[in-house]
Amino acid sequence: MKRTIRAGLILAVTLQMVVTGGCWGHKEIEDQSIYVALGFDTGDPSQLEQKVKEQGGNYPKMNTVKVTVQIVPPGSSQQQGGQGGSQGGSSGSQGMAYLNQEMTGDSIFQVMRQFALRNQRPLIGLHLKVIVVSSELAKQYSMDQMFDFVLRDNDIRESCLVMVSHGKASDALKSSQSGEIPAFRLKEAHRSRYRNQKILPPVTLTKLENTIKSKSSFMLQNIISAEGEQNLSGAAIIKGGSNKWIGELSETEVQGLAWFTEKNRGGLIKTYAEDGHVITYEIVQSSFRITPIVTGEDIAFQIKIKSEGRLIEEWSHPDIPPQQAYLQELEGEFEEQARKQIGQALHKLQNVHHADVAGFGERIRISHPKLWKKVKDNWDEVFSRIPITYDVNMTITDYGSSKE
Amino acid sequence: MNSTTNKHTDQISTAQAAVIVINYSLGASILTMSGRMVEAAQTPDIWISVIVTGIICFLAGLFIVWLCQRFEGKTLFEFVPEITGKWMAYVIMIIVILYFITMSAYELRMMTEITSVFLLEGTPSWFIIMSFLWIALYLNVGGINSMARLNEIVMPITLVFFMVSILSSLSLFDIHQLRPVLGSGIMPVFKGVIPALSSFTCYEILLIIMAFMKAPKKGVKALHAGIWIPTFINLTTAIMVLGGLGMFATANKTLPTLTLVRSYEYEGLIFERFEALMLVIWIMQMFTSFSITHYAASLGCSSMFNKKVNSLLFVTLPLIFLISKAPKNLIETIKIGQILGVTSLSLFGGIPPLLLLISIIRKKGGRRKK
Repeated sequence: MKRTIRAGLILAVTLQMVVTGGCWGHKEIEDQSIYVALGFDTGDPSQLEQKVKEQGGNYPKMNTVKVTVQIVPPGSSQQQGGQGGSQGGSSGSQGMAYLNQEMTGDSIFQVMRQFALRNQRPLIGLHLKVIVVSSELAKQYSMDQMFDFVLRDNDIRESCLVMVSHGKASDALKSSQSGEIPAFRLKEAHRSRYRNQKILPPVTLTKLENTIKSKSSFMLQNIISAEGEQNLSGAAIIKGGSNKWIGELSETEVQGLAWFTEKNRGGLIKTYAEDGHVITYEIVQSSFRITPIVTGEDIAFQIKIKSEGRLIEEWSHPDIPPQQAYLQELEGEFEEQARKQIGQALHKLQNVHHADVAGFGERIRISHPKLWKKVKDNWDEVFSRIPITYDVNMTITDYGSSKE
Repeated sequence: MNSTTNKHTDQISTAQAAVIVINYSLGASILTMSGRMVEAAQTPDIWISVIVTGIICFLAGLFIVWLCQRFEGKTLFEFVPEITGKWMAYVIMIIVILYFITMSAYELRMMTEITSVFLLEGTPSWFIIMSFLWIALYLNVGGINSMARLNEIVMPITLVFFMVSILSSLSLFDIHQLRPVLGSGIMPVFKGVIPALSSFTCYEILLIIMAFMKAPKKGVKALHAGIWIPTFINLTTAIMVLGGLGMFATANKTLPTLTLVRSYEYEGLIFERFEALMLVIWIMQMFTSFSITHYAASLGCSSMFNKKVNSLLFVTLPLIFLISKAPKNLIETIKIGQILGVTSLSLFGGIPPLLLLISIIRKKGGRRKK
């Protein structure tokens, strides 16, 4: 009796080990197609969809959102040779490293599943890198509506980045360079941040969720696409609370904000000499201090920025060796330029958009938590009336490898 | 009621006892803890709550150690009748056994939920549960020693990998998310203690394992290790989760610790993503919590019915399975975890000091030996 039980148990355990070698629910990678980017546009059915509809291929829906998926490698979705270009709604042609497909609908999840009707293999979102939302759509619908599915889904990783396109999101996910995958290019963009102040810090889904829930306004990287190339340019402003797109900041304004939102951002400041020639300053080091001055319920901010850098390019007086007085004059010029950028950015935020995207609210939240509780509900309005003074101090410490 | 296990041959060292306490404490709750704490406290000060909870649980554990030292070589189930008399003892024992069974079921259910959603999507959950049940049964039939040894092997592996995957999120860490410290006063810190308790259910196991210790005198040592190491791990997790996700995202996620690990990616390393690694490793931790409580519950039954532990392991197992099937979904399971945390402190923070008092008054049990 005991022996039979033991034999039975051993058999069962062995069987279990054989069966559960991690293969019960296995899926071969070759049988999946991976999408690496998503684009959300305003609903406007593609040619393919219209043709399908003419022949009766339709289901009850509103045309709210057009979803673009970027599939890599392109062959993974259709049989070899049956690549995008020839099919109405798809873009990308022979030689392209990716395939874009578009579909329209109202529920993003339903649209994602609708792709199964067009593709040989199921789409999986485990490697989604970038989501691009068009500013047009973001004007109409709030970010929490559009991202609800993405944030709930257990396939999509929270490390995925979020950006806004000035034009169509489907255009921002195209590239004319063969071999380049737009999703990867956008994902890697922030790696050049140490060279240019105009690139915003990357916003992941986690960060997006936190900011949406905190009801504060925020910036997303703006993309402008032209001639099959994507340009990062400026920032899209999403208003806290409504979570809708309300406007954009230009490249210069983003640069202005960079002075007092992050330390040691690499970049440059350019000015023109009296004779109209260019003089450029390379930022080697920069630091800032924002001091909230609170008296009763009146808030003011004082920003102090310090920077050291080198004179990197000078078209104006290449013959005269830099002298102390001249350098000081230049420092003054550069400071003036930086102040202009900052002033322009703050003016835009306080008077045009009425949105605090530069983290002033955070300062108050941390230094005066009680006051913050009173003002946080209409902080953007309070912020618009707050006097902000700023002071820039720049020092030219060297002039590169040239002596003069 | 006679002793039903052979405590002369089946003994564990102080280090092993400490490891069992640590492994029992670290379980499924660490994955959900920070979210529920932020929800309750509404401030970023939850890391202070973690420390406070650690101290509270240490004090509760101290009474347990003192109590057990009066009754060397006896488990809770054996010495309670001596203190309170038979009928009262039955009530206490049944409550404690039910607690351990529910705890075991909770860990089992969390383990299956997480495995079937994030690791083995598509594998039927009864199959996942079944494998866990069988392995636990096989392990516990070997007695406390085999369990202690498994725990010793599992602990360093799990802790290293867990800490690596948590600390790798340093690139996301933003100290401003943790500020201001005590911005809304001290009260929210205490509100955060209640959800934190579910991550600190560990000291009560001393009521059972101290009977098996070679040197029960060193019980306080085991308690120190058993409380402060989990406190440190919980603290690190709470701080990293809050700093990495921010207060609002943390409160909104069912498994914030997992979300944190999913929020970063490394390129060029052997691993790009750490969540699967962390979960696979952490399942071992949940398994140890599950098997320890299974053993504790069976031991309780065995003292009560005066039967061999090994046969009762087979009886408690289906009970655990049934209870683990009771919650409808992950959210309900997490709620049970929270209730268990509160129950744990009210049970094992309340009863042992009382028992200790009664035993001193009625002069039961030996004096504490120096």
